[in-house]
Amino acid sequence: MASDEIIGSDSPLTAEQRDVLAIVLDLIVPASVDGRRPSAADVDVLGYISASEPGTLTELRGELDQLDADARERHGEGFVALNADVRQALVDDIRAAEPGFMRSLAIQTVTCYYQDDRVLEAIGVEARPPFPKGYEVPSGDLTLLDPVRKRGRVWRET
Amino acid sequence: MADDIVDVLIVGAGASGAAVAWSLAETRMRIVCLEQGGWMNPAEYPSTGRDWETRAGKEMHPSPNVRKRPTDYPINDGESPIAIVNFNGVGGSTILYSAHFPRFHPSDFRVRTLDGVADDWPIDYFTLEPFFAENDSNIGVSGLAGDPAIPTHQPPLPHIPMGRMGETMGRGFNELGWHWWPSDSAIITRPHNGRDKCLNLGPCNTGCAQGAKSSADISYWPMAERAGVELRTHCRVREITVDDRDRATGVTYFDADGIEHHQRAEVVIVACNGVGTPRLLLNSTSARFPDGLANRSGLVGRNLMLHPWGLVVGHFDEPLKSNFGPQGCCILSQEFYETDTDRGFVRGYNMQITRGGPPVGTARGGIAQGAIPWGEGHHDAFDRLFGRSIHLGICCEDLPEEHNRVTLDPELTDSNGIPAPKISYTLSENSRRMLDHGSGKGAEAMAAAGAVKVQQIPSPLRMAGWHLLGTARMGTDPERSVVNEWGRSHDVRNLFLVDGSVFVTSGGVNPTTTIQAVALYIADSMKQRLANLFD
Repeated sequence: MASDEIIGSDSPLTAEQRDVLAIVLDLIVPASVDGRRPSAADVDVLGYISASEPGTLTELRGELDQLDADARERHGEGFVALNADVRQALVDDIRAAEPGFMRSLAIQTVTCYYQDDRVLEAIGVEARPPFPKGYEVPSGDLTLLDPVRKRGRVWRET
Repeated sequence: MADDIVDVLIVGAGASGAAVAWSLAETRMRIVCLEQGGWMNPAEYPSTGRDWETRAGKEMHPSPNVRKRPTDYPINDGESPIAIVNFNGVGGSTILYSAHFPRFHPSDFRVRTLDGVADDWPIDYFTLEPFFAENDSNIGVSGLAGDPAIPTHQPPLPHIPMGRMGETMGRGFNELGWHWWPSDSAIITRPHNGRDKCLNLGPCNTGCAQGAKSSADISYWPMAERAGVELRTHCRVREITVDDRDRATGVTYFDADGIEHHQRAEVVIVACNGVGTPRLLLNSTSARFPDGLANRSGLVGRNLMLHPWGLVVGHFDEPLKSNFGPQGCCILSQEFYETDTDRGFVRGYNMQITRGGPPVGTARGGIAQGAIPWGEGHHDAFDRLFGRSIHLGICCEDLPEEHNRVTLDPELTDSNGIPAPKISYTLSENSRRMLDHGSGKGAEAMAAAGAVKVQQIPSPLRMAGWHLLGTARMGTDPERSVVNEWGRSHDVRNLFLVDGSVFVTSGGVNPTTTIQAVALYIADSMKQRLANLFD
């Protein structure tokens, strides 16, 4: 199937590409062991990219297709059908050979992930915009400046 | 209306244009300011929404080449290791600045005398001192009196909170016996002139929704407009026109609909920053000024100074909540500000302690730098960075060199077809050594503060060309300067320049407080000479 062919939905990816993407997202940010932080596959990364970075979709499609094609070439079956260890090894190999491979996807993934309510709450940040509530920051201990005061003037006479 | 003659025409409504407009308003002259951008609406700034970190990197991106708002003009900075960053709108780049507000030192005005490099300014720190104070009071500046690295002054408002992060770095500097102090900040920590105090939203550099950051649109412009100054937005000036007596007659500009107008004026003041001002002068050619207006010295556009910027990041074991607080303001160290030739370079730098990144910023930086891996280790790596990182910026004094310059790009234009600026800039050996020294000392400071890991980021940082200085320098010799010691063009006696382009040297600190003090000083000089302004 051509990489830019879309079947029966408003998705910018084919069903096969979406399946590969879900696995890759989980490789980028898996769920935390304690279960408090979701996998990146469970936040709407594709929706984020479609809305905020649509210009990168062509690159993403190409990378997902490349991953699937490499899987078939090396292992005789598609990326989704591989077991977890083989998938990881394949992605590691490609990234080692091509350091830029899926770098943009990784950046977009964390950009979406760390604006998700569940994630923010899990890292101790209230899920709200900074304004209007703001944040409390302690003024600080000014006695720490005593040594600086004691040293005296340091600006240069002209 | 547009063909009426006005007494004073100001081009640009940013930090310097706003200050000059306010100062001259008391003369009751008819003053008009033309600004290519529009008014910003703080209710629409990114920090009012959940997606603020996404929006910060888009419509509020610091580079006009990335941001591409209709009011921006492109800049060809491909031949510079440092990209030009700015903002175009009422308030200019103060819309996005971090409001770190340290003053130049007295020595910054005497570099030839003290260190045998560049040139002395024709004015000194103490000439500007009353204008620093006037500006602090007008816009609202927070700080702590008694900093031993600068002549005594009293910031009108209490200092910005240091937080545990600032205390941690302060202890580190104390361990080394180095200078440090809470930074003067153009952020109000108490209600001031009808504006409410800072709430520590954090992303000051995407616009302040609270209105606590003293950007020129909400500090000077309300005062200037109340005093009768007329501000026309979405008016992009193409050129300054002149007569056969070498007097400016006004400007030609495009309105929001692209319609061309000519506005006549008795006095023209240019306040478009160290890139926009030479661009406008170089675009203003005529039979009497074939190489650009006010450019008989050949120095318009030359001596561009950008403050090469270094960065050291320290990671700490203990949670510091370093992601909270005004992004660019906390404490500074000026231990290495004044010249010590044993360091292998002349002049010096400021160390600016800035807050750790927000969630997305931390994750993106960690991924990009390899500090946060894919997969199993992601969460632990993120947790080690988030809220536990401190950034130390190194602002290096950039010495003037004529080959660093702004010219007109032969092909690139803005949306009105006006030739765009092209930047030619190379990093000097002195700056290279200073950056390396600063990076090493920054790492030393982080270690002394208890950092468990220190990253010395390759420098100069590219997206850091905020400080645009020196391209129409001030001086008493018409062959070696563009404007005289009070900002008037040597060649065109009713043309004044008031922004960072008139700086003779760059100092080693963020320049906006000094830019505004110089602008107020020039406006005051004009007021003192109104009877014989053109003699």
